[in-house]
Amino acid sequence: MRDYIIRRVLGMIPLILIVMIVSFGIFSLVPNPFAALIENPRIKRSDIQRLVKAWGFDLPWYLRFFKWFSGVIRGDWGPSLLYPGSTARDVIARRLPVTMRVMGLELLVSLVIALPIGIISAVKQYSMTDYVVTIFSFLGMSMPSFWLGLMMMMLFSVVLKRPSGVPLLPAGGIITPGLEQAPFWVKLGDRAQYLVMPVFVLSFLSIGYYARYMRSSMLEVVRQDYIRTARAKGVPERSVINKHALRNAMIPIVTLIALSVPGIVGGAAITETIFNIPGMGSLIIQAEIKADYPTAMIGLMLSSVLVIVFNLVADIVYAWVDPRIKYS
Amino acid sequence: MDNREVLVDIKNLRTFFYTEDGVVPAVDGIDLTIHRGEVVGLVGESGCGKSVTALSIIRLIPNPPGKIIGGEIFFHGEDLLKKNEEDMRVIRGDKISMIFQEPMTSLNPVYTIGDQISEAITLHQKIDAAEAKKRTIEMIRLVGIPEPERRFSQYPHEMSGGMRQRVMIAMALSSNPDLLISDEATTALDVTIQAQILDLMRGLQKKLGMAILIITHNLAVVAEMAETIAIAYAGKIVENASAKEIFKSPRHPYTYGLLQSIPKFTEKKTNEPLPAIEGMVPSPYHMPKGCRFNPRCPFATEKCREEEPEILELTPGHLVRCFHPIES
Repeated sequence: MRDYIIRRVLGMIPLILIVMIVSFGIFSLVPNPFAALIENPRIKRSDIQRLVKAWGFDLPWYLRFFKWFSGVIRGDWGPSLLYPGSTARDVIARRLPVTMRVMGLELLVSLVIALPIGIISAVKQYSMTDYVVTIFSFLGMSMPSFWLGLMMMMLFSVVLKRPSGVPLLPAGGIITPGLEQAPFWVKLGDRAQYLVMPVFVLSFLSIGYYARYMRSSMLEVVRQDYIRTARAKGVPERSVINKHALRNAMIPIVTLIALSVPGIVGGAAITETIFNIPGMGSLIIQAEIKADYPTAMIGLMLSSVLVIVFNLVADIVYAWVDPRIKYS
Repeated sequence: MDNREVLVDIKNLRTFFYTEDGVVPAVDGIDLTIHRGEVVGLVGESGCGKSVTALSIIRLIPNPPGKIIGGEIFFHGEDLLKKNEEDMRVIRGDKISMIFQEPMTSLNPVYTIGDQISEAITLHQKIDAAEAKKRTIEMIRLVGIPEPERRFSQYPHEMSGGMRQRVMIAMALSSNPDLLISDEATTALDVTIQAQILDLMRGLQKKLGMAILIITHNLAVVAEMAETIAIAYAGKIVENASAKEIFKSPRHPYTYGLLQSIPKFTEKKTNEPLPAIEGMVPSPYHMPKGCRFNPRCPFATEKCREEEPEILELTPGHLVRCFHPIES
């Protein structure tokens, strides 16, 4: 098992390099952002040429890659083009915690709700509960996030108000200005109210997806012979489900969860925009449009590395849940 | 004629399946008596209702689509069909145990066999974990599995089909049941393993004294094991007598046909094809009018096509459902 993990980790290095080169290459298709400056008569040609040279846009993409990469191995990811004066790393560092907070909560809330309702829905297949769960699952999966977000905002930030006249929930942002000196729990409570709507919207969209997965995995398991064996030896129905069925039904869910975790750093561009959250999703899209390759590459590499790492995590957890799987 | 105490008395059991295509009368008026310590064979073709009878006894008919719609199943004088689910659960695996056809899929793949056997023990007996482990190892040894201590912590996938069926038997007998139901338990095994498992069951029956209901389509299996044989056809018992009687002087044309179709190696080689019962098992959606066997019966008369025969005791202990029983 240890050897297997070491082998897999070593195998990640070339994979990450390839991802890096390919995404950088694709990125070079974004036009040189300085070319348009030529049309501006107030900017000197020599200044433009200096900028183009400094950013490496005078070089073919692979040479630009090497220039950038030689910095990366020294820990220097380059300056941000989008936010002049900041390094790309600082730009990401400002955004990442915000996104991880929203997306982490979203994943947690979705799983905590979706897995139990998926199980109940399978155990009581074709019951009223099952139909309600199914309807809400599909409703969530087909819901446009911007519409739901706007409707929630209308309700909780415009229609519903506290006795003091302040909206029940803030319409957007992540923190109320002027609370820097407030005690810790006040700040925590303040942040929490900004999170309610975005986390609800994102969870509502994904609960159905996880619940349907859990349901079908559970349905597959409860009709297996060993479930009948468990019943035949007098196991109470509750432990037939919780002990005998669930552990088997979780095997495919492990992959699903492991592959969802990298989403925590990716952000959700549309929801972030609606609720005015300075997160990764909107940042990376802007960086890509504006050819801010140092910033965009950090975002891409974060996601890729997490996808690769959590694939390995999924494989390790597999072996732990399913004794039939052995790595050597 | 049998002075032993009646253990199971099934009276006019009717279990129907309500499918989209119509109602399937899988079991339609089965009567069967099992005495304490008796080995009874229930024989019939696929779809004759023999497995459904077994599942009806322990009340594990999947509902929907199946439902026991009538009859009585007395066990120790109490009607199992009147018991609530919790009372039934306590009986399952304790007083009545069952083993199934597919040893490869009847054990839970994610728990060790030790776990699965000791679960059956602790469910029905108030003993601590250490004691349960001791009992489990004893049971594993009892069913003839070598190295019981090592096998205790093995998973089902580490064992062959024959070994897994032994594990199933150990599990079923761990609480010293009064009745063991074996539903085609040897059908999926190859012939030598089949003989070993039958030997084991016969040995354990002598040692522990439980009654066994052997459900099979294989006459050779019951010939070896059963004292009493019931022949089922299309959801009804057509003949019920001691094994000796059945093989020596079958009275029902269906039983006669079954026995004729067994190759006999004592006879001289001939080039004659083996006799077979003409026709097919009737579709459960369209049971023939009158005697259910009449379309395939060489002796059928007008009466057989119109009226349904009752099961009658022709000679003491020999019950036959036929208007024109074959003379002995």
